[in-house]
Amino acid sequence: MKNPFGAIPVADTEALPPAEMALAPTSIEETAQALRIATDHRMKVLVWGGGNHQGYGHRTYPDVVLTTTSLDRIQVWEPEDLTLVAEAGVPIAKVEQMLGEHRQTTLLPVHGETATIGGALATGLSGYQRFRYGPSRDRVLETTAITGDGRTVRAGGRVVKNVTGYDIPRLMVGSMGRLGLIGAVCLKLVPTPSTAVTVTVDDPAAAQAALYRPLAILSTPTEHRAFLWGTPAEVESQAASVGTDLINGLAWPAPPSGLMTWSLRVPPSCLQEAIDRLPPSWDYVAQHGVGLVECGTPDLDLQSALKLREWSESQGGAMVLAGGPETLYEQMDPWGTPPNGLDYQRRLVAEFDPYGVLNPGRLPGGI
Amino acid sequence: MTAALTEKKPGLRDELISLLGTDQVMESALERHLYAKDSGVYTGNPTLVVMIHNAEEVAAVVKAARRHDVPVVARGAGTGLSAGAVPEVGGVVLVTTRMNSIEHIDAENRTAWVGPGVINLDLSNVTIPYGLHFAPDPSSQSACTVGGNIACNSGGPHCLSEGSTVNHVLALEVVTDEGAIVTVGGPAPDPIGLDLRGILVGSEGTLGIVTRALVKLTPNAPDVRTLAVAFPTIEDAAATVSGIIAAGLIPAALEMMDQLMMQVIENWLHAGLPIHAGALLLAEVTGVTEAVDAEAQIISRIAEEHNALSVQVAVSSEERAVLWKSRKSAFGAVAQAAPDYYLHDTVVPRTSLVEAMRQVYEIGKRYEITMMNVFHAGDGNLHPLMAFDASVPGELDKVKAAADELVQICVEQGGVLSGEHGIGIEKRHLMPLLFSDVDLDAQARVKEVFDAEGVFNPGKILPEGSRCFDFGRPVPEGVWV
Amino acid sequence: MGYQTPYAPTRTELSNCIQCGLCLPHCPTFRLTGKETDSPRGRLTAMSAVLDGIIEIDDTFEETLSFCLGCRACEPVCPSMVPYGRTLEGARAEIAAQRGGVARRFRAWITVSWLGSRAMMNSITFATALVQRCGLARVAPSRFRTGLGGLRRIRWKTPSLQGKRFEPEGAPVATVGFLVGCIMGPWFGEVHQASISLLVRAGYRVVVPPGQTCCGALAAHDGAADGASRMASHNVKAFGDVDYVVADAAGCSAHLKDYAHWVPPDEMGNWQVKDINELIAEAIEGGRLPRSTRRRGGAALQHPCHLRNAQRITDQPRVILEAAGYDPSDIDPMCCGAAGFYSILRPETSAHLGKNKVKEIRQTESTVVASANPGCEMQLRSHLGEGYQVLHPVELYAQALEEDSETTA
Repeated sequence: MKNPFGAIPVADTEALPPAEMALAPTSIEETAQALRIATDHRMKVLVWGGGNHQGYGHRTYPDVVLTTTSLDRIQVWEPEDLTLVAEAGVPIAKVEQMLGEHRQTTLLPVHGETATIGGALATGLSGYQRFRYGPSRDRVLETTAITGDGRTVRAGGRVVKNVTGYDIPRLMVGSMGRLGLIGAVCLKLVPTPSTAVTVTVDDPAAAQAALYRPLAILSTPTEHRAFLWGTPAEVESQAASVGTDLINGLAWPAPPSGLMTWSLRVPPSCLQEAIDRLPPSWDYVAQHGVGLVECGTPDLDLQSALKLREWSESQGGAMVLAGGPETLYEQMDPWGTPPNGLDYQRRLVAEFDPYGVLNPGRLPGGI
Repeated sequence: MTAALTEKKPGLRDELISLLGTDQVMESALERHLYAKDSGVYTGNPTLVVMIHNAEEVAAVVKAARRHDVPVVARGAGTGLSAGAVPEVGGVVLVTTRMNSIEHIDAENRTAWVGPGVINLDLSNVTIPYGLHFAPDPSSQSACTVGGNIACNSGGPHCLSEGSTVNHVLALEVVTDEGAIVTVGGPAPDPIGLDLRGILVGSEGTLGIVTRALVKLTPNAPDVRTLAVAFPTIEDAAATVSGIIAAGLIPAALEMMDQLMMQVIENWLHAGLPIHAGALLLAEVTGVTEAVDAEAQIISRIAEEHNALSVQVAVSSEERAVLWKSRKSAFGAVAQAAPDYYLHDTVVPRTSLVEAMRQVYEIGKRYEITMMNVFHAGDGNLHPLMAFDASVPGELDKVKAAADELVQICVEQGGVLSGEHGIGIEKRHLMPLLFSDVDLDAQARVKEVFDAEGVFNPGKILPEGSRCFDFGRPVPEGVWV
Repeated sequence: MGYQTPYAPTRTELSNCIQCGLCLPHCPTFRLTGKETDSPRGRLTAMSAVLDGIIEIDDTFEETLSFCLGCRACEPVCPSMVPYGRTLEGARAEIAAQRGGVARRFRAWITVSWLGSRAMMNSITFATALVQRCGLARVAPSRFRTGLGGLRRIRWKTPSLQGKRFEPEGAPVATVGFLVGCIMGPWFGEVHQASISLLVRAGYRVVVPPGQTCCGALAAHDGAADGASRMASHNVKAFGDVDYVVADAAGCSAHLKDYAHWVPPDEMGNWQVKDINELIAEAIEGGRLPRSTRRRGGAALQHPCHLRNAQRITDQPRVILEAAGYDPSDIDPMCCGAAGFYSILRPETSAHLGKNKVKEIRQTESTVVASANPGCEMQLRSHLGEGYQVLHPVELYAQALEEDSETTA
């Protein structure tokens, strides 16, 4: 088949899923052009950042894989204003290193070297500090998204407070690319204080009661840790109130891995029960005060997972498959019971991707 | 549906009365006049005004209004400033003040289900025993409703550290254009699917009517320091703000007021404001004692480096209360200077504060308008306030022209049209300053998805003709199915 | 039609309102109904609309303004300093002038001719004492029951204080002209006794000018403006050249302070008006009156609207109660619903507010309740029922001093 994409650079297909074509546009304009052409030809496009979060959502069998590898510019960084404009393909690890030197951070989760800003935001992932600072969605100030039919839609603004028009940037976060490819995004940065420690605690609930807005309190199968930062005196006194076993800096646990990975989401008050309900062989990182448990399983015990899902949904939460063998996705819905307002979700997607070419079917309800 | 409603709709009136009772439907000239406007300068003309008590009533009103081809405009306490609750083309004004129940305060999850008519400050007062509060604190917080806050995604001084209303809403019960009652979002983190809750917050009642909200409550800080720093000039104060942010400090609030503003407030409140100084900076830091002491020290040092005349640190809650009362009642006090005011709301990047302020005063001088300033400096959120007398012919037009110019200079600095008041009627004509046809069309599509027939608050946010972007390119042969 | 009388709200007064809405949550009627029509902002907008000829003075307008309690809770919270109470009186005067009506004329007859006449008050007092003693209060129409149930034990006749003069020991600090008022003398004589004895002890010469009459507050609140104006002029002449004019009912002192609106400037006296709380607290703080060393436990301190909102007096009653040996706890300032005639005209709303107030008082667990206004006192007593002592702060203080002196003796 003739390449309809003309001069748009072709991507190295190694490590990409099979497709007729793999593209690596180098600019927002090229990306828009690629999606216009894809729409014209009704070719299904799968957007690929670092490939770290592709386990989320329904499977897409694409005609074209579009990598954001070459959308890798940091367009603007205003250290004094604590704002950053970066393109989708910028690796989080890279930007965090750059910002770290100026004691600033995006608070996005760092998953290895390859995970991208666009990928984390499209999947709607947040760093562990969300207990203190809220989810990533709360720090997205502006998005420049390319819709399925190749329109470049900018919304929001590059200021920290803004109510000018509908909050499309917020809608883009967690949209799994269905409303558009987040080409560039303006993020509100957070200054990193001078001191940070990790404290091992005996009782996470007691620690939560004792500490004033810690960064995070995490439980793993082996231990409970509280994470603190601030001025030296503050960190010292806060840490001393909950434990004596200190590590300097933020010693985040490794994300759980396994044959299946799940994201269990419940109201914060249900977190301990959620932990108690996990099969003993599962690895996990549980976020107290947030209600999120990332799980990794040593086997393919789908029954246990589905039982947990049933319970979490009864609590107003969800149990979302984050990764596993392809066959798993045929056996069950990776999202679980679709949410309310599905009609509106479907109609929104139809307005942004009228011909269903961009990551079709990824969202709950197969939207 | 957006054509002006010049006649009353007797059918709709009768239907609403049988639905809600005579007491809850207002139709006299006086009643309609009182609901014609909010706290801003724009006026509309309600066809009918209804008091509602629950989601079922809202749904019934929406269905009835739709049948009669009459739009519905939701209204809380009417403290909005961008005419978001003004029934510009007529319609049913749906008043939510009676939907003011606070249900299920959940201390463990730090949440509460609240009706849209709950007064913002009432919510924080009710949750004091739990050591919690509702973080968004607009200056009108003693009067404005949570429903209004949700509609406008309201901010307030403390959203510098806590974020605007949208960061504090977990779920919404909404009545849709079809009169269905739907709950979106939920008590658990990261609800699956598109963030409908997020797009509804800040949509100014144009996408649906919120009948209940699950709000996030924030722990009260164990300790607080509020600094009142006097500066010889507004530039020094603005430079101090930039200095504080650049030093990596995000205080709970960073507020600024100029001399003229201080004078009118002092006249009413006798708070002991430094009325001979050029500017006052209010900085508040919250947290554990060690943190607030250290941060207060850093702020004092930065202020002194920028020529601070005096630094007063308020420790007691009474001292703090007076300072915040002076800040939050500022706009009302302006009536002493002139009978009318136009309060503006724009945002610039924090690094552009000094330049933006210079231009604000320059515009005031050029238009010969009394320009006062009291604003959220830490966010770069400006509130230039023009005091004038609307009974002088031509005065309001002059003020509106100056207002447009203010927006223009802020956009030129990389800013936006509104930080917390919303677009409403006030700024919709300025939307093209910030957004392209394609951008506006995308926003209009969002509106269309939720409210294709324009039953909800027509004419707000988007300028007319937004939904007309034509892709304008040739279609390859054979691709259209 | 617009406005027709000289009492009408003026453009200057009304244009101060910039519709910010900060008054809304403080307004008892807005809290009750949530309607703009029942809020201070709505009422001011309505008054402006009449001024601008947008609406007529009609039933809706009248209802909007008559539903107002006149508690003026909107005034202290108004950053624009709108003189709401004044505009309300003006608008009600307009309604009375333009709409008349038998009921209103009857009320005006009561507020002006009855309250303004000593002979009439004596007859009413006699009748009320009779009603009280025969237990008729229980069978009175429900709208009068609250008022009757809240009365103190009324004497058949109380000798008038008018024309009396009380000298302090030593040179007087100043001369106080004491307002006897309409119902205060015959129904609340103990408050007058306490006030005068404390004033004298604090070093004031107290004169009770003869020929004085009711202050006219109730007439003014109800739109009987001509009568109110006559009563004000009458009193101004009666008080002559004292240093202070003092009243011990918050409603009276508040109205006396507004006399400038009712009396032509050239007729106004040179005296200052003080509420009794002001002078007594000042004397305590200045060491002219003693502080009791005995602790008497808690007292619920109710802030009458016309003290707190109209005169911004909040600290002084607390000073007095503390000096009396009590540990005062403030009751939420929302109006208790007494509001002059209000409890008779709108018994349901009044009772609703009264019950709320009583709930708060019960929460303090004090059985002693201090209220510096007769209307509030009656409302509280009536809704509280048995087991509570509701008195004026100066009475509690005078009692405490007496107890102390008995112990030392």
